[in-house]
Amino acid sequence: MSTHDATNASPHSYAAAPATAHAGAATDDIIREHTFDGIEEYDKRLPNWWLATFYGAIAFWIGYWFYVEQAQIALSPEAAIELELSRIEAAKLAANSANLDDATLWQMSRNAVFVNAGRETFNSVCASCHLQSLKGVDEGGIGHNLVDDEWAHGGNPTDILAVINNGVLAKGMPAWGPVIGAKKTSEVIAYILSHHTEPAHEES
Amino acid sequence: MSQQKLTIEYNDKVVRQFILACVIWGAVGMLVGVFVASQLNFWRLNFNLPWLTFGRLRPLHTNAVIFAFVGNMMFAGVYYSTQRLVKARLASDFLSQLHFWGWQLIIVAAAITLPLGFTRGKEYAELIWPINIAVALIWVVFAVNFFWTLARRNERALYVAIWFYIATILTVAMLYIVNHLSIPTSLLHSYPIFGGVQDALVQWWYGHNAVAFFLTTPILGIMYYFMPKAAERPVYSYQLSIVHFWSLVFIYIWAGPHHLLNTALPGWLQTMGMTFSLMLWAPSWGGMLNGLLTLRGAWDKLRTEPVIKFFVAGITFYGMATFEGPLLSIKAVSALGHYTDWIIGHVHAGALGWNGFMAAGMIYWLIPRLWSKPLYSTSLANIHFWTGLLGILLYVAAMWSSGITQGLMLNATAEEGTLLSNPNFLDALHAIQPLMLMRVIGGGLYLVGWLLLAYNLWQTVRGAQPVNGSIDIYVEAKTPAASRDSASAAADKERIGWLPTFGNGPVILSVFLVGFASLWMMGSGIVSALGIAGSLVTLIAGYALLYSRGKDWQDWYEKLLLNALPFSVLVFISVAAGGLVQIIPTVLVSKPDNVEDRLQIPYTPLELAGRDIYVREGCYNCHSQMIRTMVPDVLRYGDYSRLGESIYDYPFQWGSKRTGPDLARVGGKYPDVWHLRHMEDPRSISAGSNMPSYPWLSTNNTDVAALPSKINVQRMLGVPYGPLSPQQIFDDVNAQAKAISKGLREAGAYVAPEKEIIALIAYLQKLGQSENVAATRTASVR
Repeated sequence: MSTHDATNASPHSYAAAPATAHAGAATDDIIREHTFDGIEEYDKRLPNWWLATFYGAIAFWIGYWFYVEQAQIALSPEAAIELELSRIEAAKLAANSANLDDATLWQMSRNAVFVNAGRETFNSVCASCHLQSLKGVDEGGIGHNLVDDEWAHGGNPTDILAVINNGVLAKGMPAWGPVIGAKKTSEVIAYILSHHTEPAHEES
Repeated sequence: MSQQKLTIEYNDKVVRQFILACVIWGAVGMLVGVFVASQLNFWRLNFNLPWLTFGRLRPLHTNAVIFAFVGNMMFAGVYYSTQRLVKARLASDFLSQLHFWGWQLIIVAAAITLPLGFTRGKEYAELIWPINIAVALIWVVFAVNFFWTLARRNERALYVAIWFYIATILTVAMLYIVNHLSIPTSLLHSYPIFGGVQDALVQWWYGHNAVAFFLTTPILGIMYYFMPKAAERPVYSYQLSIVHFWSLVFIYIWAGPHHLLNTALPGWLQTMGMTFSLMLWAPSWGGMLNGLLTLRGAWDKLRTEPVIKFFVAGITFYGMATFEGPLLSIKAVSALGHYTDWIIGHVHAGALGWNGFMAAGMIYWLIPRLWSKPLYSTSLANIHFWTGLLGILLYVAAMWSSGITQGLMLNATAEEGTLLSNPNFLDALHAIQPLMLMRVIGGGLYLVGWLLLAYNLWQTVRGAQPVNGSIDIYVEAKTPAASRDSASAAADKERIGWLPTFGNGPVILSVFLVGFASLWMMGSGIVSALGIAGSLVTLIAGYALLYSRGKDWQDWYEKLLLNALPFSVLVFISVAAGGLVQIIPTVLVSKPDNVEDRLQIPYTPLELAGRDIYVREGCYNCHSQMIRTMVPDVLRYGDYSRLGESIYDYPFQWGSKRTGPDLARVGGKYPDVWHLRHMEDPRSISAGSNMPSYPWLSTNNTDVAALPSKINVQRMLGVPYGPLSPQQIFDDVNAQAKAISKGLREAGAYVAPEKEIIALIAYLQKLGQSENVAATRTASVR
């Protein structure tokens, strides 16, 4: 069964516009013989820049695959992150070598710059459990009250430092020290201590 | 040879039906979109009601836009153009109506079940299994109706639009069926047969190619029909049609893993996903070129014709989105943009710009022709265009800025990269709040534009007479036997046969090239070298043959276009290749027995119940469970996730967006009472959080009765549960739930053990727990 095109016999004028009403522009372009529902097709060659993009991407695939998967030049994602993490650990160990002691932390608690910086970190990180009032469980929070004189895990500045650095995982206190870093930890301790008074020193 | 005049009346009724459904569902889908976007700014809009929370409505939005809005638009466009391109009425009026009403029923079923929390927990594949079966059946109805029409065509050759429709129908069927393979545990619930990393790979093979073959290829086909029609100009290049069609459908399938860059997905798949995405750039732009350059010589119409405006803007957005896609698939760019609003902006450039504007252009072109009446108001259509364009630009600009801000803030480190600059996740959320509001305004404007279209349509159609198109064709009279013989002889001459379909230069060379390239990529040593050598030989032979036999190849292709079935088979083979190469090795290799470091500890029954609550509430819409191999992720959330740590997760919950923080290692990080308070009122714990409150979890009882059946299915899927009687399961649940409840009471909060929140807490506290199997494996080897 063979067919050939008939005139477009749609019953209304909107579909009756044939797509052949073009003149002038690009007369050298070859139009394919066959049309579909009046749609014609040029057969222009592929643009060079387009081909270059395509071939370029293919070349990149070959090169990148060789580099990453076969030549073993690139580190695997796991190896790369492990390397990065050990670098970070080394930097942290170096930074922590200047040990903080009780006296230094008390001194920080009297320093407005430290206390103000500590308040910001405290409100952003600690207040979800200990509340901005620092009164924690006594005002409906989850963490301990930090302004009374009861210390569940020791009240010396270095005890507080240990709690922040290591957490008390059984009680739900995460180890925040590694997350916020040594500087912010000392500032938070300064802020907490600013609500307390330094006990009188015994003469030695 | 005597000829007979035959008048064919097209079935335009079903086209009109699909157009109306597209307009209505489009408005609904966009409205839900504006609503869920507003919820991110104003958490109170969750109304503390389960069926109005973001986690349940966002899937409704995505499903409505993809399957209801674009779906109905696609069916209208495919049916209208196919009939005219093949000069035949749709094969069956019954199938056409079954297709239409079946699809609408599926949409209604989705709109009811999703807000009620019935979900499979996989993106764009949320619908529950009975609806999945309905979708598959209706898709088959569509396929039968379409291919049957092709079989009865009065136009011998297949136009490029038809190629794209064929690719759409076959590929969507393949993707949908494989990604929805599930084992039911009840009438409304099932577990997917793939878990963990396998599920992730299959899901994004599907998810990415749903974008490709549901939102792209059918619309390209529609572009190839309606653009030259509206512009009254020839298509720019037939060669380009061929090259970009075949490269697009072949390459697209391989690019799925770019959704999983820097995750626990094996590295070779990530590399494949990235490189194939880059190779997809040119094929995509081939479609853009053929669309835009069709307007050569008719650019003046851009000033006057709203239809052309919509098409040109739509195709331009297609070009932008298909440039942005490969860009985001570069691993380093993904590290910044993934999990952020940038991706949301990217998909909306596609959905609003490409799909929405192509739909609008097509509808404005069709309305006068389907109802035989001029459009009610051209200036209203112009206002729609400018409102919509402004809407998209606001939307996309807001999401670019928001996503990049989010990515930069969350990834920023201080003190020589050892610390996070913004340890509080909420800092980044607060920074993007104004941009999220700007997105709501942009989306709202776009919706307003769409409502203008609906009004314009209503005003035009009201009282108008629907008209069906028709065409006169001349066929040979069927009486004389001699002429029938000569006719069948002519038909035989056009038939290609199976041997020439496969046994010819282009197909054989392509098969060899793909085979050798796969050997090169996947193999090692001698196999890989063989792959390189084979690829080179094939390429050289290919070029030599192209120059000597190019004309034969052209003739072969022209002949192939006269044969719908062989053409379709070749299309299917080329779309199936990528999935096979990626999925089969992953299913064979990435399984619990082969895990070498950390292996997930299976969930207790109570934890499993809690996980199903997590899935039901759609937590994965805002929370990932995948710590990437990136320093900022590790600093914020803990050690990077291993492949084995989610291997028993049916479905996987790696997520694709971090509106909230990652939860892969949240287990044990906070006390139970923290989670209780946080779920009841997130803002009591995290000031400024935009997470919905979940008060009903403290009043609803956990569905314990469903657990025996669920655990049976999990065991069937390979999770190592021992033989547990229902009573043992219930006892186990009771004991664990009571312990959690008791702990909460000691912390000053009482919740009865049977409440859902207890199960959810049990699940959340389990996240990130694994055993190290490296030692035992090594020992047993020795």
